[in-house]
Amino acid sequence: MRGRKRALVGALLILVGAFWWFSRPVPLSEEDLPDHLPDPANGERIFHAGGCASCHAARGAESQDRDVLSGGLVLDSPYGVFSVPNISPGMKHGIGDWEPLDFANAMLRGISPAGRHYFPSFPYTSYARMSISDVLDLKAFLDTLPASDQENAPHRMVFPFGFRRALGIWKRLYLDQNFVMAIDQEDALLERGRYLVEGPGHCGACHTPRNRVGAPRLDQWLSGAPVMEGEGRVPDITAQGLADWSEGDIGFYLETGMDPDFDVVGGDMVKVQENMARLPAEDRQAIAAYLKRTGTGAH
Amino acid sequence: MKNPVIVLMIAVLGVPFAVAGEDPIQQREELMEETRDALKPLGAMAKGEREFDAEVVNASFAVWKRAGAQFGDLFPEGSESGGGTEAKSTIWTDREGFDRALAEFNEAVDTAMAAQPGSVDELKPVLGGVTKTCKGCHDGYRVKDD
Repeated sequence: MRGRKRALVGALLILVGAFWWFSRPVPLSEEDLPDHLPDPANGERIFHAGGCASCHAARGAESQDRDVLSGGLVLDSPYGVFSVPNISPGMKHGIGDWEPLDFANAMLRGISPAGRHYFPSFPYTSYARMSISDVLDLKAFLDTLPASDQENAPHRMVFPFGFRRALGIWKRLYLDQNFVMAIDQEDALLERGRYLVEGPGHCGACHTPRNRVGAPRLDQWLSGAPVMEGEGRVPDITAQGLADWSEGDIGFYLETGMDPDFDVVGGDMVKVQENMARLPAEDRQAIAAYLKRTGTGAH
Repeated sequence: MKNPVIVLMIAVLGVPFAVAGEDPIQQREELMEETRDALKPLGAMAKGEREFDAEVVNASFAVWKRAGAQFGDLFPEGSESGGGTEAKSTIWTDREGFDRALAEFNEAVDTAMAAQPGSVDELKPVLGGVTKTCKGCHDGYRVKDD
């Protein structure tokens, strides 16, 4: 009887230990960072491609105030209510005191400077595909923006999603820095498009449906999904969904907000489009070239 | 002499038509359609698919001027749903914001008219000023379901 109890406790301890081991954060180390002189101009381009301001800018901010990344937006999801944090260079509540390695770990591994897992509402499943040099450039650009000392509001998670440690297991299952779609490596335009869409642009965060635990369903990559926080549907932007759009149409839409029927963009896509409009034209062309090849069984 | 049967028939059959004619959902959808149709040729000019034509541009501006004056009355209480409306509930919960978004559209149209663009290069920024206000309203007050 006693031996049995002991075996049970032992098995339980092993299980807990295994869970703890497999769920541990696995950060980058100083040696993983390349010897790289940060280029804030490239960082600004990545900033617009990523649309960081869409979520992190002060609420209701217009034009120049959109540079104040004090956070505050509230995302109401089935997993809980997320409060978008301050990523301005503020020293107290922003990320002004972060080392480049801290920022790289946040973006590429979804790990905070304190070594805790971030919730994937911060779309690091996409950012994990970014190059480290782009990430460092982005940090250099963020450091040029105005500081804010706005305090961060806590997330209010729905049980059991608030258990952060379990995200370590989630990451083992779903955090994958490999690209989703296979493409011809010779095609520089297509490669750039794939990088922008699957990496910094994190288009899949809204346009790809999610499974029950909130991970993107890669078998339905960019094929459209319900709007997470309310009414409507996010459209299919695979080649099939965009069958009536030429690459020129996609580029023009991202530049001006007008679709091929000259309907004007709405919803959360407004901010995305306005960020995309600030990219060089060749980046919009690259995105268009990539989207016209997705969902064609290439992945 | 009036035939009561015919009067009754007209009354019964006529009611749905009369209501349909005054249905704000249908009216605003038609007006929105006109607004979009007026954008088409201008968008095509900006896109480089069509030659610049000042007359067409002015005609479109005029459509927007008229539409902008009417939209405000076409979202009364009780027209929140039905008829495949894409109007978002926020129009009624945040009427002030909606009215402001509409006022911005009207201002942008006035600015566009005053600018009298004479070439596609002059048209583009003016057009951008107007479509920005379309987005401003589509962002918070429209549900797109496709």
